[in-house]
Formats: sequence, C-alpha cells, structure tokens
Amino acid sequence: MWAKSWTLKEGFLVGGGLIIAGLMLELSVGPVRWDAFVWPVGGLAMAFFVVLLVVVHMLRRRVYAIRFLSTYAAAVPALTYAVVLTMVMGLTRQTVNGTWVNNMLTFWPFVLIYIYMTVIVGLVVLRRLSHWRGWRRDVPFLLNHVGLFVALVCATVGNADMRRLKMITSVNSPEWRAFDTRQQMVALPVAIELKRFIMEEYDDGSPRRFASEIDVFTRSGKHVHATVDVNKPVKVDGWKIYQYGYDTAMGRMSQISIFELVRDPWLPAVYIGIWMMLLGAVSMFILAQRKP
Amino acid sequence: MNWTHFIYFAVPSVLLWAWGAFSAWRGRRWQALAATSAGLLVFFAFIVSMWVSLERPPLRTMGETRLWYSFFLPLAGLVIYGRWRYKWILTFSTLLALVFICVNLFKPEIHSKTLMPALQSPWFAPHVIVYMFAYALLGAAAVMAAYLLFFKKRGVAAEEYAICDNLVYVGLAFMTVGMLFGALWAKEAWGHYWSWDPKETWAATTWLAYLVYIHYRQMPVHRPRTALVILLVAFVLLQVCWWGINYLPSAQASSVHTYNMG
Repeated sequence: MWAKSWTLKEGFLVGGGLIIAGLMLELSVGPVRWDAFVWPVGGLAMAFFVVLLVVVHMLRRRVYAIRFLSTYAAAVPALTYAVVLTMVMGLTRQTVNGTWVNNMLTFWPFVLIYIYMTVIVGLVVLRRLSHWRGWRRDVPFLLNHVGLFVALVCATVGNADMRRLKMITSVNSPEWRAFDTRQQMVALPVAIELKRFIMEEYDDGSPRRFASEIDVFTRSGKHVHATVDVNKPVKVDGWKIYQYGYDTAMGRMSQISIFELVRDPWLPAVYIGIWMMLLGAVSMFILAQRKP
Repeated sequence: MNWTHFIYFAVPSVLLWAWGAFSAWRGRRWQALAATSAGLLVFFAFIVSMWVSLERPPLRTMGETRLWYSFFLPLAGLVIYGRWRYKWILTFSTLLALVFICVNLFKPEIHSKTLMPALQSPWFAPHVIVYMFAYALLGAAAVMAAYLLFFKKRGVAAEEYAICDNLVYVGLAFMTVGMLFGALWAKEAWGHYWSWDPKETWAATTWLAYLVYIHYRQMPVHRPRTALVILLVAFVLLQVCWWGINYLPSAQASSVHTYNMG
C-alpha cells in the first residue's frame, strides 16, 4: 500500500480519510457555516480556490499525490463516496434545524467529499488543457467537466448571497415587508400592491390557475403593472417575484396573495455552467461514441 | 379517446414490433426497421389522441409515464439497431414494452383531466420525455449487464461490454439533459434551480452512480464484471428515483414531486 503507482485502494483511503476528518470537524467546530460566504467573502474564496488549483497543478511534476488526484483511481472513489453520502441524504429526513445527516448540506463529511470531487474535476480540466489531444476528444470532455465545476462552485458560493423571502399582500394595500427563511421580518426596496387575485378551477374544484395582478413600486422609482402566474415570475430590479400561495381556506375568494421574492446575483454564472453541461451532453451523444 | 381504447392501439403495435424483432433475427434489416417504425406510429397515435382529449400532455401519472416508456423502449431499440445492428435489441425492447403495456392494460390508473398550475409549463413535456428516453436506454443497459453477468458467464467479448458502454453514454447524455431541463424549469416554477428536494437528491445519486460506471470503465486496469455490478446498482438507484421515492418515509410530505401519485 502507498507504493507507487496508487490504485483504487489508495483512492478509497484518501476519501475515507476525508470522511473521518469531516466527522472530527463536525464534532469540534460544528456544522459548516455557509452564511460566512456572503459577498465579498464568497467571491474571494472562489478566486482563492481557483488560484490554489492552478498552483497545485503547476507543482504536479514534483508531487506524486497531485498527479494521482487527476487519475481515475482518485475519481472513482470520490464519486462512489458522493453516491453513498447523497443516498444517505435521500434516505434521511432533511430539516433546516437538523444536525449531522439530517442536515447533510452542512455536514462536514458530505461537504468535504463534494469539495474533493470538485478539486479533482478542476485538476483534470487543467491537465487536459495543458495536454490538448484534439477537438473531438477534448471539447465534450471540457464542456462536461468545466460546466460541472462552474455550476457546482458558483451555486455553492453563491448560495450565501441568495435571498428568498415570502411576502403576504392584501388587496389594495402596498406591502414592502417580507419574511426570510428564519421568519425574520425584512424591509425591501420593492413594494407590491395586490390589485386582484385570480383563481380558475376545474370542474372538480381543484385549481386550474391562480395568479395575481399587481403593481410593483421600487425605491429606484420604477412603477410596473404585471400579472404573476405560477411558472411565470415577474422580474423587477434583480428580484424575481413568484406566485407562491393564497388563502386556501377562502379559495377563489381569497383576499390575500403570497409571493416569493428571490434575488440570486450568481445565477448567470451558474447558468453558464448548466448550459455548458447541456452542450456537453449533446456533444457526448454526437461525438464521444465508442464503437465496438 | 381514453384508456378503454388503449388495447386497440397496443395490440397492433406489439404485433408490428414482434414482426420487426423477428425480421431482425432473420437478417431482414429494412423489414425490421419498417415494421418497428410502423408500430411506433400506431402507438404514438394513441399518445397524441390522449394528449388532445386530456387537454394536457399525458405525463402526470405513473400510468401515463409508463405509456411513454413503452413508446421509447422500441424507439431506443430502433435507434440502436439502426446504428449498431444488434439482432437481439428489438426482441428485448419489444418484450419490455409489452410488460409495461400489460401493466397499463390491467392497472391503468385512470385519472382526471386536471393538471395543477405548477405543471403548466413549456418545460414539462421535454423534461419528462427526455427522462423517459434515458430510462429506456439505461434499462436496456441494465438488461444487457444482467445477461452478461448471470447467463453468459464465460467468454464475454470486449464488444459485448462496449454495448453497455454505448447504451450508458447515450442514456446518461439524455439523463443529464432531463436533469438540467428540470433545473431550468425549477427556477421558473419554484424560485430555485436546485433545492435538494428528495426527488432531486435521488436524481443526483443516480447521475453520480452512472458517472462511477463510466469512470471505472475508463480505468486502464479494471474488472469488467465489477463494472456490470456497478451498472446494476445504478439501475436500482434509478428505480428509487423514478417510483421508489413514493414509498420512502424520508420523502413523504416533503417532496414537491409527489403529484404523480395522483
């Protein structure tokens, strides 16, 4: 063991070591505090991460362990641990106030394994870029791997800057206060006045459509009249306004409408990653076929 | 048009597919392609008329997704046969489609016309259809893996392992598209592209499991039979994601994807 070159066995030991380290961190410092990544810390952390990967990549000829990280013997165990931990997440009830596996996104072993996987993806991308093997092989590879890297990193770091608020509005009274995920009241630079709640029903009484006619006023001086439908959010000043709910006891007579207001400044970056992966999937289908 | 008319479309389709499968064994390539395509047309006619009479895409209930699954299996078979000329694939796809058709004939899970507002989106049809096609291909890969693992234990040729690889590559490409379409839709419907809803968590698990298979198969030194076991485990995870989740206590009442229980 640990004789060069390393195989799956060493790969599984490295991943297992990370899980043990994660358990020790969970015991000593408690769950991962993602809210620490609020801008600009998140942006700096991301820049630091990318620079670190480039530096590590440049040291690869000197350090065997770095070369190992961009081999399948590292990737397969990392993915396997990710499968197991994500499966545990799917088998357990996840709650905001949960601890350990009941709040997997803040559970150190889960986070470390996903970071480890991301490090491997970053290093194989850098390696492929410095050993170009031709468009046909490398473009699908890069779209898939860079896309996943960008989407994972930006979604994770950007989560701290994302705001999701619930606003309860009544007919003809402007509202600018909303509740965050911890039920804290927040004053917003956007006010919504509900003009009319719209509800259409099927013959059996189940809702066919519910929507709200609203006036939106912003602190920047904008005044927008719009209709918000489920699946059709309205965008104003970087906020997306979603039809979220209504007074279900009153049904079509509801005098209130509940909106979710979402602000996610990192969304364009995540979408770049998602669209790269989509193109990667298409090119994998077209180009990367291995004929028997 | 409703489920009582299903049998008048299903029987001719299955007969045409069976004819296609038989022709493939006899080496009559064009006949096989033509008969299978004709069967697909008949079956698709039923799907389209259901779509029209329901006034929504028939994609909501388990019975309706089974309809698409039984359509996509012979379609996947047709594409694979056309591309790689495996004689057995049409027989396999016909038999598996028959199983799902029988389930729908004896347990159709007839549901009302209603489609809740959250599902009224242009993303709905592509998201589910692409996923069903991926499931069909990965189902084919799983059957091939089981065949190589349990029935043809000796003398498996590299080409036969490569069949599994090809099916997984195409299947995973479609699964990735289905998953990312789901993410783009979720942003429009629920305000976030990924909320770790139980269905999303299991979709991630399944996706990662197929990545394990692909990366393991790329290793210069590996055991192909271990790869087949990984493929079967991944398919079990896929079943949890598709329907098993409806029975998981962890997903009860917390998943927004439970409407297909109808």
